[in-house]
Amino acid sequence: MRALLEFIAKYYHWAVFTALEVIAITLLLRFNNYQGSVWLTTANTVVGTAQQWHNEAIRFIHLGQVNADLMRRNLRLEQNVEFLQAQLDSVTHDSTAAERLQAQRLRPLDIIPAKVITNSVLRRNNLITINRGRRDGIEPEQGVVSGTGIVGIIYMVSDHFSIVMPLLNSHSSISCALRGTRYFGYLRWDGTDPLFCYLDDIPRHARFRVGDIVETSGNGSIFPRGLFVGRVAAIENSDDGLSYKLRIHLGINFSRLADVAVIRQEFQPEVRELEQKADSAMAR
Amino acid sequence: MILTLLQRALWLAALVVAQMMVFNHIHFMGYATPLPFVYLVMLFPMGANRSAVMLWGFTCGLLTDIVSLTPGIGAAAMTLAACIQPPLATLMAPKDAVEDLQPSMRTLGFWPYFRYALIITGVFTIAYFALTAFNFFHLRDLAIATAASWALTLAICLLMEALRSR
Repeated sequence: MRALLEFIAKYYHWAVFTALEVIAITLLLRFNNYQGSVWLTTANTVVGTAQQWHNEAIRFIHLGQVNADLMRRNLRLEQNVEFLQAQLDSVTHDSTAAERLQAQRLRPLDIIPAKVITNSVLRRNNLITINRGRRDGIEPEQGVVSGTGIVGIIYMVSDHFSIVMPLLNSHSSISCALRGTRYFGYLRWDGTDPLFCYLDDIPRHARFRVGDIVETSGNGSIFPRGLFVGRVAAIENSDDGLSYKLRIHLGINFSRLADVAVIRQEFQPEVRELEQKADSAMAR
Repeated sequence: MILTLLQRALWLAALVVAQMMVFNHIHFMGYATPLPFVYLVMLFPMGANRSAVMLWGFTCGLLTDIVSLTPGIGAAAMTLAACIQPPLATLMAPKDAVEDLQPSMRTLGFWPYFRYALIITGVFTIAYFALTAFNFFHLRDLAIATAASWALTLAICLLMEALRSR
């Protein structure tokens, strides 16, 4: 208390100064029309600008939710595009394809949005951690996608988090096809450029061009057919010269990955169980 | 004490009246208007109470505002000038000066007093014209008016001080 009184006694002239200046400035703005109007205009401008910043900040904060919604919508649209493309094909080629693809479209897909917690693109075996786990319904070997392409496959799961094995991992191998053809191969990464992967085992008689779209083939129960992966950037021969090896420009930029979605297919556990049974029966 | 107060009150009245009757009507070259009522704050001794100096300055500025129809401008500028006067007087005084030394040409010498007056009139004039213009769109005109009025105010203050110190 004493220290406070000493402090006030020592510096009270600043309070006097402030009080006198406030009185003077109030008189200035109150009784001088010009200064008053300039002050009012400036104050309005400042308040308007501050309000604009505030609104922009609020909009920015909500961008995460907007992004997640857009990604979900994009996935739905991709499914629709695939369905319509197949329908178009069916009109010109296959009369039974419409029913088949209709059934495929109706196959239940459950999408779980997630945020990327850690990510890397510089190692040969990169891994991604997401903020959803077993309690959210995530299991190993479920597919992970983003709005611009597929990301990878769930590798390990804890109660609240999961590890994704992305395309940028030398152990990753995902079945992909060239859109509009039946030719498929396996998408692998050579550990160099994070924007490109290689699609191996495309037969020599396949017809395609640089720029053609590569999508998931739907083989296996991890990804549904028709999810965008990337575009053909270059055509090379495989090491044994028996097939083509396509350099694929990925649709997804892993170094800026923030929002992803895990695809949970209703019948995936059943399919996996059946496959395991078949494997063990064959082993006997 | 009472005599000192009376003297200051007389200075205050004289400066306000002089401003109203004479100096408010001078617009040298259309730019320079002398504002020598700031001389009041230059009269305070070295160890003067800072709050008291500010109150005197504020009162003098307010009275000048009333007679000049510029409410608040003189009061704000005078309070600012009064706020810097005590430390400035201490800074300009010789090291062996008495505690209540009154800054004047006789006690400080011409050049220290000139610097002392230059700074106080400068701070006061800049604040006064900045508040009058209240924008910086015509910066050139504002700078000329401020510099010219500063020079004229300083000259009149030095003249008054020369007469007083005789």
